[in-house]
Amino acid sequence: MSALPETLPASTPAARPLLLGGVGPLVILLVGLAVSPVLLSAYATVTLMPVIAYGIAVLGMNILFGYTGMLSFGHAMFLAIGAYCAAVATQHGILSFEWILLVASGVGASIALIVGALCVRFTHIFFGVLTLAIGMLLHSFLFKFYDLTGGDQGMRVLRPTLLGQTWDMSATQFLSGPFYYYCLVVYVVFVLVTYRMIKSPVGLHLQAIRDNENKARYLGVHVYRLRLGAFVLSGMLGSIGGAMLGVSTGLADPELAYWTQSGNLIFMLVLGGAGTFSGPGVGALIFVLLQDIAASETQYWRFLLGATLTVLVLALPDGLLGTLSKYRGPGKNPGAQP
Amino acid sequence: MQYLNLILAGLFQAAVLFLVACGLQLIFGVQKIVNLACGSFYALGAFFAITVVSIVQQWQLPALLLIPVLVLAGLAIGLVGAPLELMLRPVYRRDPSYQLLLTFGLVLMFQDVFRFFWGAAPRSMDTALYGAYGTLEAQAVSIPIYNLLVILASIAIALILGLTLKRSRVGRIVRATAENRDMTEALGVNASRVFTLVFTVGCILGTVGGALIVPTSAASLTMAAELVVDAFAVVVIGGLGSMAGAVAGAVIVGLMRTVAVTFASEVEILSIYLVVVAVLLFRPKGLFGKEAV
Amino acid sequence: MNMILSAQNVSKAYGSYQALRDVSLNIGDTEFVSIVGPNGAGKTTLVNVLTGLSRPTSGSVHFSGRSIAGIGPVRLAAMGMARSFQLVNVFPSLSVWESIAVAVSSRQGKARNPFATLFKSRQIDDEVQRVAATFGLSQKLTTTTGELSQGEKKLLDIASAFALRPRAILMDEPTSGVASADKYDIMELLVKAARLQGVGTIIQVEHDMTLVARYSHRIVALQEGRVIGDMTPDAFFKDPLMLEAVIGPAHSKQAQSAGETLLC
Repeated sequence: MSALPETLPASTPAARPLLLGGVGPLVILLVGLAVSPVLLSAYATVTLMPVIAYGIAVLGMNILFGYTGMLSFGHAMFLAIGAYCAAVATQHGILSFEWILLVASGVGASIALIVGALCVRFTHIFFGVLTLAIGMLLHSFLFKFYDLTGGDQGMRVLRPTLLGQTWDMSATQFLSGPFYYYCLVVYVVFVLVTYRMIKSPVGLHLQAIRDNENKARYLGVHVYRLRLGAFVLSGMLGSIGGAMLGVSTGLADPELAYWTQSGNLIFMLVLGGAGTFSGPGVGALIFVLLQDIAASETQYWRFLLGATLTVLVLALPDGLLGTLSKYRGPGKNPGAQP
Repeated sequence: MQYLNLILAGLFQAAVLFLVACGLQLIFGVQKIVNLACGSFYALGAFFAITVVSIVQQWQLPALLLIPVLVLAGLAIGLVGAPLELMLRPVYRRDPSYQLLLTFGLVLMFQDVFRFFWGAAPRSMDTALYGAYGTLEAQAVSIPIYNLLVILASIAIALILGLTLKRSRVGRIVRATAENRDMTEALGVNASRVFTLVFTVGCILGTVGGALIVPTSAASLTMAAELVVDAFAVVVIGGLGSMAGAVAGAVIVGLMRTVAVTFASEVEILSIYLVVVAVLLFRPKGLFGKEAV
Repeated sequence: MNMILSAQNVSKAYGSYQALRDVSLNIGDTEFVSIVGPNGAGKTTLVNVLTGLSRPTSGSVHFSGRSIAGIGPVRLAAMGMARSFQLVNVFPSLSVWESIAVAVSSRQGKARNPFATLFKSRQIDDEVQRVAATFGLSQKLTTTTGELSQGEKKLLDIASAFALRPRAILMDEPTSGVASADKYDIMELLVKAARLQGVGTIIQVEHDMTLVARYSHRIVALQEGRVIGDMTPDAFFKDPLMLEAVIGPAHSKQAQSAGETLLC
């Protein structure tokens, strides 16, 4: 048996360079998004708005699924919550986007707290089915209560003010200009915050829960509390993304809460690689592009999307980035060492 | 006495729901796969049945052959499940999340398959055929005979399935494979074939259900996604993996739907989800379920 | 020596099946206790009760003076007791460093702040390095657990439990699945690790009687849910009735002589 070494070997993970599984690709994506308005037409830029909105939402879902191992099939409900918060707020005179984001976060986090408290006791299939049911509960509520929610027609979201300023310009200019950059900055902030969290002991504990919740318990990890925390955070981020979507489409649509929309979000997660930090963000980009391109090429884009998902699950379960980062070197696992 | 009509209408819905839920339960019970595409098979059965009936109509067959034709159509197209099961094989031993994703991929693909073959508008069948069975009227109870026959057919299928699983050799092999796949393989059973069989039967149940519903409602692109929610409600309330649960759950959901639609349509589907959520929280096993994961 | 873990008149029934009958036990804070007995004697149930996983049907169980009946693994760890299982329990996608760090950060209370440092924390790193060195895993710190050999995984499993610096550790057949030649090495490692990590009490469920003879201060023998013997190895191996009950008549003679050889 080896004796205690005199000097500590420099093998600590901190010394490792950033991998494909790390924050690198996301940084590239963010830079790309930042320069897009300059390189692309205003119209094309507007089509990139959902990449930012979905990007924030899947940032949260990645913490829930990629890092904590909980697959929610009802997460689109938070997109809907965010969008409807934006609609209700703007229609009642609250036009400041700062306030809208705060309200969306608050409502999203609160609902996530209640839903999570009930759901995170369960795992895997049951968690998926339960969240699907609750998501559909919200959908049916939004769909049916016409007087409150506008029913199947949804609720209009008016243009908010950014930093107190009203921007007197066309919708396309607004959405590809000030609003685009505003949301991008918010995205960057959340990327930094969540990245920091993932690299902390809390992030490590989440991954321990994902890998072996029983063992984690015996090592003193507060499984229930951390799961709930991850759920609340992801709910909050989902709502923020939803509010952005609501503003960019001008509409809060009950279909945002339909279970197939949750499926789309999961698709983005898996596409890029749920175990990596950057994967889902990249997945959101690819999904939006795929949908746009496929939709303009053929009316059968859903088939393309479905086939892609199927191929992914069968051939590349770790997603694009996950698989690529695995081939970079031995002993480097996607999830744990961004 | 109109309540009786309501109940019978509910039972009709339940009968069809039962078939699909039964398929779901069978597949989950044996292969531990949650088939999100169950609704897609339902829709497939519906669309295919409409096509078959419109072809067969040209042969001037007696209208009373409608039900057998529908069932055969459902049976035929349900066989599509067999090759699809091959695709599912890699994910059996993986994290359950992956099978949810895979079957979701199927849902997306099926959507466009329907669009391609049958177009985007809802399709319905010639209602005259449905009416050919006539209506049973007795003491202020009035029910279309077609509905009655479907309810009876459903009960028959339930009994046949139940008996097959409990008494027959095939049934025992299926149940053994469900309990412990590796063990049964060690005993010489070709588990892969059992899985293919079970999956195909599960799909056929779905397609037959869809075929049987088209005389009463149109086949549309949205019916697949909508049915998934109903089927899940049935399975959750009745209990995952249980046939008796499929019956109980189907009856409850079928009745709730009919009653709610009649009395308080705003609350209709909301009430079903509330019940689902309540069951998941307070009795996660459902009424007859075996496990709360 | 102070008493640290005690069970008083513990009985546990599962429906109509009586797993434990009126078991009383007191374990001190510097003892090495082996729990032995034939299969079905109730060893696992007893361990479950002693680690707060199972609530006794009647009777009480205390650790450091506080009741631990049914408190569950998380609170158990917080109170200073660790447990390891017969089947290897690891985090497949985490590296060795990270696996140990889970326990270390837990013990250091670092998981309360989502923004605390992990990888650059000297405090965590020092501790992880120490534990890894004790268990001979220093060269494997950056290796993913999934890629370790079965033996290394076992070591990691135990190492992470020890990283909690528990005052007591309960191990379910710590050398099961290990080749006979290596069993002694593992036991020596465990004893040394305990000393270095400040773990005073070691309780193990073990079938290998030579190991039991060599390392235990005390042997607790169970049969059909009852304690039939609670004595030093010396006394145990001299008692033919004990040996017969625990090992069975055919082997008890061998064990007796083996025990005698070891103890002399």
